[in-house]
Amino acid sequence: MDYLSSNKILIVNLESGEITEDELDDELVSHRIGGVGITSSLYETYKDKDPIVLGTGLLTGSLFPGSALGIISAKSAKTGEVAHSPLTLKAGMELKYTGFDYVVVLGKAVKPVFLWLHDGVADIQDASEIWGSDVWKASDHIRRSMGDDLIQTLVVGPAAESGSELAQVCINYWGSGDCWGFGKSFGEKNLKAIALRGMGLLEISEPEDFVDQCFELFEKIKKGSFMGKTGIQDIFSAMGENDATEWILPLVHRNSACYNTPYATNTFLYLSEDPKTLTEPDEPEPGFLVTDPCALLGFKRAGLSAKDAGSVMKACAKYGINPLAVAEFCVKSGEKDPENIEKSLKDLEGPVSVPDCGRFSYWAPGKPLFSNFDASDTSEYGAWWKRRQAVAYIFGIHPIFANMAPELSEELMLEMVNKGTGLELNQDILDKVIEDVCS
Amino acid sequence: MRIDVDALKCIGCMACEMACGYHRDDAFALLASCIVVYRAREKKDYFGVVIKEEESLTIARPEGLEIKRIGVAEEPGSTGQKKEADASAKPMLLREPCDLCDGMKYGPMCVKICPVNAISLVEGGE
Repeated sequence: MDYLSSNKILIVNLESGEITEDELDDELVSHRIGGVGITSSLYETYKDKDPIVLGTGLLTGSLFPGSALGIISAKSAKTGEVAHSPLTLKAGMELKYTGFDYVVVLGKAVKPVFLWLHDGVADIQDASEIWGSDVWKASDHIRRSMGDDLIQTLVVGPAAESGSELAQVCINYWGSGDCWGFGKSFGEKNLKAIALRGMGLLEISEPEDFVDQCFELFEKIKKGSFMGKTGIQDIFSAMGENDATEWILPLVHRNSACYNTPYATNTFLYLSEDPKTLTEPDEPEPGFLVTDPCALLGFKRAGLSAKDAGSVMKACAKYGINPLAVAEFCVKSGEKDPENIEKSLKDLEGPVSVPDCGRFSYWAPGKPLFSNFDASDTSEYGAWWKRRQAVAYIFGIHPIFANMAPELSEELMLEMVNKGTGLELNQDILDKVIEDVCS
Repeated sequence: MRIDVDALKCIGCMACEMACGYHRDDAFALLASCIVVYRAREKKDYFGVVIKEEESLTIARPEGLEIKRIGVAEEPGSTGQKKEADASAKPMLLREPCDLCDGMKYGPMCVKICPVNAISLVEGGE
């Protein structure tokens, strides 16, 4: 693949320490397009070796609106089936620019390690110093030791090291869309983290046409139904949870977006500073970036105050545990005291509910947001949602943003990928890939 | 004319940075962008935008805009900001200065692409 691609699939065997590279050939892309189409295919190829597969879509890291998404595909500790989690914030984009389109991690390391991917180079590094650390300390250590604050880290915490099925792969310091227990898979491999930093460059087959159309699309989106809305507070409103909007607003510091995503899907809550503070606070850890609206809503339903909910989500991210599962336990137990909840994290186990969401993360709210997409089926996690998520995970589009931007049609994404790559992908191919990844 | 940024409107999406990179490289890349989202203080939610211009750096912080002349030593404490540098910010001075996307049919691409209209083109030089 010459365009919108680094043309490399990285295979890392943690057991032997062997690192090899394959080319990403046009034939594979012509049949599987990219993103989850190819991570699923690579998973099948290596499934006897219990792989964790990372990947990006052809549009990831481009100027196409919402092009933030990277993907983890692996066997879920919860379901025993292959499932897919989103890598958002700047992690998907950074993965794309490391010089590897896909990364297959095999085997179990003899001692704790982290994988360092940067500028077309992959290194397996000793992680004995950070094994046992919480997610925040591990991320800080990696950034400090590499001398770069912009490294994106996929990190697990003590929950993963103790083998919890609720363990989550966190991004930098924050929770992620990993509701499948992929943190446990990292822990079983003695893999503490994957650190990403890329200074790569992606060529475009028809650059002027591609960028022209991106700008046209941005103009259209700027007139879209979600414009003027921002943050998790307005996502709550779009979900019909207006009480939750009022509940959270007094703590909102700023809203921020994942890479090239026109809607700010992340909301930072100041827990120990005045949320109106504009200058850089002295307090080194004044709050928490909420990336998971459903989890925050879960703690509201459990009866926590917004401040306590933020504190517990912060504790979950440090421990590396899925906050949505923790919220479910709180609802069941009636526990509302944040200190007690934090103390209980290490003992939480047992089944948690999984909606009928196929293989995609139910971190993305189960219905369209700010628009009905003219869809006949908008039932919770229904057929519309699964297809929309499949498309987002194939092309590399932010899964929550995909559910609020009908301007991003399947036809348009195919057209843009063809302009960007010079390939001739069509709806029949896309339909086949969607059918396969949804089955 | 120069680029102005309202950092409080900015959502840190980096679309401006990638658009600028495209102007420089005719490809998608971030290394040569002269507009950069400042995001190294992630745990504090403190972010803004830095623009490299011919003779100055425009730093759009949440609390306001600051223009620093390149090559002029800063007096300690003059901005009220902390003095430690982020390692990732160092290459900024090595980048080409903003040319307002000279030769591009769109005009300044960062202005055009910003989804929240945080970036604008205003009268006045450096």
